[in-house]
Amino acid sequence: MTAKKTEFKKNLVAYSFIAPNFIGFAIFTLVPMVFAFILAFLDWDGSPYNPMHFVGFKNFANLASDDQFLAAFKNTIVYTVETVPLTLIMALILAVLLNQKIKGRDFFRTVCFFPYVASMVAVAAVWNMLFNPGMGPVNEILRGFGVQNPPGWSADKDWAMTTIVQFSVWKYMGYYMILYLAGLQGINPELYEAANLDGCNGWQRFWNVTIPQLSATTFFVLVMLVIQCFKVYDVVYMITQAGPGTATLVMVYDIYNKAFVYSSFGSASAEAIVLFALVLIVTLIQFRGQRKTEA
Amino acid sequence: MRNLKKTIVLALVALMAVFGVFANGTAETPATEKGKTELVWAVWDIGSTAYYQPIIDAYEAKHPDVTIRMVDLGSADFMTALQTQLASGSSEFDVVTIKDIPGYNNLVKKNMIVNLNDYIAKDKIDTKQYGGTTEQISVNGNLYALPFRSDFWVVFYNKGLFDKAGIQYPTNDMTFAQYDALARKMTSGNGANKVYGCHYHTWRSCVQLFGILDGKHTIIQPPYDYLKPYYEMVLGEQNDGICQNYATLKASSIHYSGQFQNGSIAMMNMGSWYIATQIQKVAAGEADPSKSWGIVKYPHAEGVAPGSTLGTITSLSISQGSKKKDAAWDFVKFVTSPEGAAVVAKTGTIPAIMSNAVVDEIASMPGFPTDGNSKEALHVGKAYLEMPLSDKSGQIETVLNQVHDEIMTYNISVDDGLKKMGKEVQKILDTN
Repeated sequence: MTAKKTEFKKNLVAYSFIAPNFIGFAIFTLVPMVFAFILAFLDWDGSPYNPMHFVGFKNFANLASDDQFLAAFKNTIVYTVETVPLTLIMALILAVLLNQKIKGRDFFRTVCFFPYVASMVAVAAVWNMLFNPGMGPVNEILRGFGVQNPPGWSADKDWAMTTIVQFSVWKYMGYYMILYLAGLQGINPELYEAANLDGCNGWQRFWNVTIPQLSATTFFVLVMLVIQCFKVYDVVYMITQAGPGTATLVMVYDIYNKAFVYSSFGSASAEAIVLFALVLIVTLIQFRGQRKTEA
Repeated sequence: MRNLKKTIVLALVALMAVFGVFANGTAETPATEKGKTELVWAVWDIGSTAYYQPIIDAYEAKHPDVTIRMVDLGSADFMTALQTQLASGSSEFDVVTIKDIPGYNNLVKKNMIVNLNDYIAKDKIDTKQYGGTTEQISVNGNLYALPFRSDFWVVFYNKGLFDKAGIQYPTNDMTFAQYDALARKMTSGNGANKVYGCHYHTWRSCVQLFGILDGKHTIIQPPYDYLKPYYEMVLGEQNDGICQNYATLKASSIHYSGQFQNGSIAMMNMGSWYIATQIQKVAAGEADPSKSWGIVKYPHAEGVAPGSTLGTITSLSISQGSKKKDAAWDFVKFVTSPEGAAVVAKTGTIPAIMSNAVVDEIASMPGFPTDGNSKEALHVGKAYLEMPLSDKSGQIETVLNQVHDEIMTYNISVDDGLKKMGKEVQKILDTN
């Protein structure tokens, strides 16, 4: 009896410590998430004066023939597949370069990190000016080099996604570079010495010591990047507003449209759940892959 | 496992406690000064809108026991912000401004604004005075808002540029062919001296809605073949450098106002709200544009009487959640009355009730062009709403915007674009 009581007391103390965080999480994240799961099976326009109707899986079934959703689904995958490896490789290259003892190292590290901390609205406006199809400096330079028809960038269906991907890589590589720098500094120098004694050249040292030693960092970077890419919205909103046509419409953008422009909270929630499932599956695959490489 | 269960139970208890606190804390009407009724009015852009304060001053002078407080929800996504606010059910708003038709349609469907029919009948308001606009926003015979501003589209032109080129000003009865020819004639120069004959802002309305002026089509009903000549005219002008490139304008978010004022555009089709902006420039002492700009009526298709144009109405309604609906109605009634219209007109803004007196009022303002044609252009023939009332207007609007964007940036041909527009809009109309 008393043992049980003291155990309960102990638990209570522990719960009280996590309570502040958990209550915030519960109100602002857990409840809305659970609500979204319920909404996905309802037909509701978001009005407190109108009733909700249970419609079963109709919202999900409708997605299959919804052109906006299909375009958004495809674009989100394309964006992720292009952005993740590019950002990862760029961040790694920058980290390796800026880990050497070169002059002005701190300056260049700051320069690379700057886009990440700069305001999205400001840098997107600058980016739009640089890549303006008509009078932007980028196309002026291309014309100077004799390119007859430089790309229309954000105004061209075939280049709009590339423009978004370029911007994302540039904006986010600085952050992941910092993660890689931390990883690089955590590698035991004795490993490099041993590799030197074995007669490894620079490339072999990179391939056989640096890369395997960074695998934990790479895994973390990969998981974070994939999740970030799946939920992209701000970059698209600032640069193309999902256009031209639906060329850069992504899932979160479509979810916003469905909920707040078309007042269809049911189908918006259904799409949100599809996005959730997508992220969950990809992350689970990544964790499984990680376990295998560790084993 | 047992711990997990405990955690969940505790969390639920904590949640209930927290929500309990909130439940007790809300639903109180804010206290105001002794004996005074405070009405809260949802608006946008308080700083740059000339007529809000004069309206409030005029009303408060007549009703010393009422105070009006404005809340600015911003212009960019005003209707979305308003819906979100009203969705809480306990919002503070009494009077709400309605900015566009898709947003109005949403609020009506969501039962968030009050049916005004009983009030209108009780106070014997004659809706004929609004020139037919109320018919276009009534839902099954019910009116949920009354208009107080009614803008229409005209062609603004730069007199200085026409004088310099020695070319006659545009007139109130141009056909589209004459308008196109004039724009081509007015284009000249290169680089910094380049003058564009005409200008289309990046809104779809600037191009698409030329097509509905003959009164035979509506923008929410496919097929869209009838838009072809207008897209071809504008794309032709774009190819020949008669107007600025859509992609350039869009990518750099260039505002039409600066483009017209810096003197590089001879003619620009735009809504009459821009008249008040130009007049304010004069009041602020920035040059004297009265000599340098004028307006004429919208161009018309061959065989259609001149004077038809696009209209946009701004109206007022009462929030379903308001606890002072009768007081709110009294304010709405005042703003939408001939008396309110006179106050609105004094700021150079076009009120919903147009009369010869109102036209005289606006045309006599310092800063308004002095020529007879500009004054004549204020007399509107038939005004078609930019977006007619429909259940699906939000979704249709998205498709119209997307395809407009594709056509104007040459990502799809005019024929294929209009086919796609028709197919997708039909699909929206067919689903329920």
